[in-house]
Amino acid sequence: MSRGAHRWLAALVAVLILGGIVVAIAYRPGSTLTIGVYSGSYWGTPTGDCYQVVDDAIARFESEHPGVQVEYVSGISTDSYSEWLAQQILKGTEPDVFFVLPEDFNLLVSSGALAQLDQRMDADSTFDPDAYYAPSLSSGVLEGRQYALPYESVPTMMFVNKTLLEAHDIQMPDNNWTWDDFYSICTQITDVDQHQFGVYGYTWLDALYSNGGTLFSQDGSSCLLTSQPVQSSIRFVQQLNDLNEGYQVTSRDFDLGNVAFRPFLFSEYRAYQPYPWRVKKYSSFEWECVCMPAGDQGGNVSELQTMLLGISSRSRNPDLAWEFAKLLSYDESIQRELYSYSHGISPLRAVAEDDEILSQLHKDIPGDGSGSFSREVIGGIMNHALTVPKFDGYDQALTMAQTAVAKVMNSGESAVSPLLEPQREINLFLSKN
Amino acid sequence: MTKEKHLHDLTLIMTVCNLAIIVFYCLIRTVTTYRICDSFGAYDFLSTVEATPQRPWLIPVQALSLYLLLFVLSYLKFRWKIRNPWVRLFLCVAELLLCIGVIASLNFYYSGVALLVLADLIYYIQHNRLRLLFMAILIVLFAFAQFEIISLPNHSVAFSSYLSYYTPFVRSVFTGIESVLVSGNILLFVLYMILLFTGEQEENDRIRKLNQQLNAANTQLKDYAVELERMTEIRERNRLAREIHDTLGHTLTGIIMGADAALALFSVAPEEAKKRVQIIAQSAREGLTDVRRSIKALRPDTLEQHSLGQALEKLVADFRLTTGVDILYEPLSQPLTFAPDEEDAIYRIIQESMTNAVRHGHASQIRLSLTWLNHVLTIHIQDNGLGCVQLEEGFGLRHMEERLRLLGGTLTYGNGSQKVGPGGSGFFVTAKIPVREKKEVCAND
Repeated sequence: MSRGAHRWLAALVAVLILGGIVVAIAYRPGSTLTIGVYSGSYWGTPTGDCYQVVDDAIARFESEHPGVQVEYVSGISTDSYSEWLAQQILKGTEPDVFFVLPEDFNLLVSSGALAQLDQRMDADSTFDPDAYYAPSLSSGVLEGRQYALPYESVPTMMFVNKTLLEAHDIQMPDNNWTWDDFYSICTQITDVDQHQFGVYGYTWLDALYSNGGTLFSQDGSSCLLTSQPVQSSIRFVQQLNDLNEGYQVTSRDFDLGNVAFRPFLFSEYRAYQPYPWRVKKYSSFEWECVCMPAGDQGGNVSELQTMLLGISSRSRNPDLAWEFAKLLSYDESIQRELYSYSHGISPLRAVAEDDEILSQLHKDIPGDGSGSFSREVIGGIMNHALTVPKFDGYDQALTMAQTAVAKVMNSGESAVSPLLEPQREINLFLSKN
Repeated sequence: MTKEKHLHDLTLIMTVCNLAIIVFYCLIRTVTTYRICDSFGAYDFLSTVEATPQRPWLIPVQALSLYLLLFVLSYLKFRWKIRNPWVRLFLCVAELLLCIGVIASLNFYYSGVALLVLADLIYYIQHNRLRLLFMAILIVLFAFAQFEIISLPNHSVAFSSYLSYYTPFVRSVFTGIESVLVSGNILLFVLYMILLFTGEQEENDRIRKLNQQLNAANTQLKDYAVELERMTEIRERNRLAREIHDTLGHTLTGIIMGADAALALFSVAPEEAKKRVQIIAQSAREGLTDVRRSIKALRPDTLEQHSLGQALEKLVADFRLTTGVDILYEPLSQPLTFAPDEEDAIYRIIQESMTNAVRHGHASQIRLSLTWLNHVLTIHIQDNGLGCVQLEEGFGLRHMEERLRLLGGTLTYGNGSQKVGPGGSGFFVTAKIPVREKKEVCAND
């Protein structure tokens, strides 16, 4: 080799070493952990200091892990949070740990942004999945694999216009009421001439979930649109709608106190029940909430919405990220703070069914509270709440089903035969997915 | 030379073309990513692609740095002129790996780099089978990525997804640029191959022509050799004829004439006839001597009468008798037969060496040994004489050397004893003769 060749070789080696150093620096596990947090409440309820829980968790985490800094960008509203997160993923600058909105979960998993947690959960001896309510934990599952930890759960409840019920001499339903009770109250109250109606916003899906059915099979391979529970749910909602003699009830009707029932998130109840919010929300009537009415084949069950915590699949600090996500989701003292700064229910049994927490809930309710949220009720709601099995293409398949059912309900036809064709189409779509 | 330059230029253009494609590809990805973010379309984009977009800086950094390394390697490969086939193979494998690295870092979207590397390696690899192997690997690599023969479990965002961000017009401009560059690269590759293989065809033709010429020359040379042998034969025959005519012819003529005369005289003068017959006998004897002399000019006469072994015995016995020197003679353990010229050489070397030992070294003892090993005959003559301070011409050594050279043998000589080392008294001569053909061991006749 000539002299020139030696120089070239040296240059090549130098470039390689330099490149190696750059890569090593770029990929070294850092001492800074970033988290993705939204401001305000996802549940659309007014909150005080939305960052308080996260700030407390950070303070504790930093004291437990000296030398580690936890950072987040503040001021991202819940409305723009999904877009912000997507931008970060696109730019490759997503946080190590981030909140996952329930509606974003499928997208984030299918785009590969979330790390799988099954191995970590198995490997961590201080972590017991049974400490969570099963429905809350399973809302972080897609196609049988855990991708996120539950942070806060909110079930759907039935709001009741107590004033309207009292005016008709009807007793407030309890947490074990059924479709029959529901239907008979609606029949008694509905008076189209008086502009009084039974229910607003109660969908066939709400009915389906409380009738022990699901729209899709557990593995997401087929749609059950023509199954018996779906059929009876559609029929039940049709019956309720028929009471209104073609009048379309609006949310304004409920706000004005002319509607007896309306499904709402539990968080609304928690947010607006304490004084002075309760007066501000609905000044014209007294209100209360109960579980959803049970169908013939089901229980007082509703869908559970759960705010989730995910870890970036590209995180450079996966161990620290797991520790932090675990602190937010699994630590009881942090979870307790949810009851002061947010309006959901903790996914941890030990927290949600804690005496102190329960009495805090009772304190908010005026009057005797009548034990509406005893340990049994909370436990019942949370244990039996329905988490819809998630799979790739879920959102689109759901939209297809809803469109088909809406068409059938509008036409007033009998439900089975017109749904066979859409079911076939949806199954075809699912098989391609 | 011009062909090589053309090939080199083509490779350079291909290198630039590939660089342009990679830069174009990286630019579109990176710029579009930030444009999408700026226009708040990230969520929609993510839901259409359903794949993890790579960090925007990662692809440019990976692809361009690997491509740069590839370029440097292919450049150095030709500068370094390495002969060792293993090092060459190693360089080729390294280049192949870098090529795969570049393609993988581009998410297998663009694989034209494989053509560039293929062009480079086909030229570089001399070994035919190896060349085929690399060709197969690279073509498969190119084809699989280019035509998506199997869709790899690829979790990256497709390039088309980035293009779909733009308006149809801009999109068509971009795809236009892309296809011009990509097909340009393929075109360049085809051009390269055509140039390379037509060049090789010409080279083959030239070699074939040269071979034919060489064969013709060879045949001619053989003819010449035969002719030369024939001519030599004729010359030798003429010489012999002349010799016979000069000596035997002369003598025989005399004898015939004498005999005729004697016949005529027998009855007239028997005494005179008897004298004549005596003269005839005398001249016949002289003629015989002449014939002998002319043959003697060609061969030692003892060799003519005896086998080599016997001739040497006789030589030693005669020498011992005439000079009184003590000669220790170790003949060959097995009697061998040699070609006449070899026998001559052996005889003459021994004769000359012994004469030298006595004449110049005044030796009183001579040790003579013959050994036969691996088709080489070694003659060793050692004396206890004065040796020789300065070798002089006329010792016959040069003649010996010349004789031996004709037979392909060697001669060593010097003062002292070879076994004791130089410096001792005496003189030694060692001759080694590679015997042309192993003769059958035969009985001494």
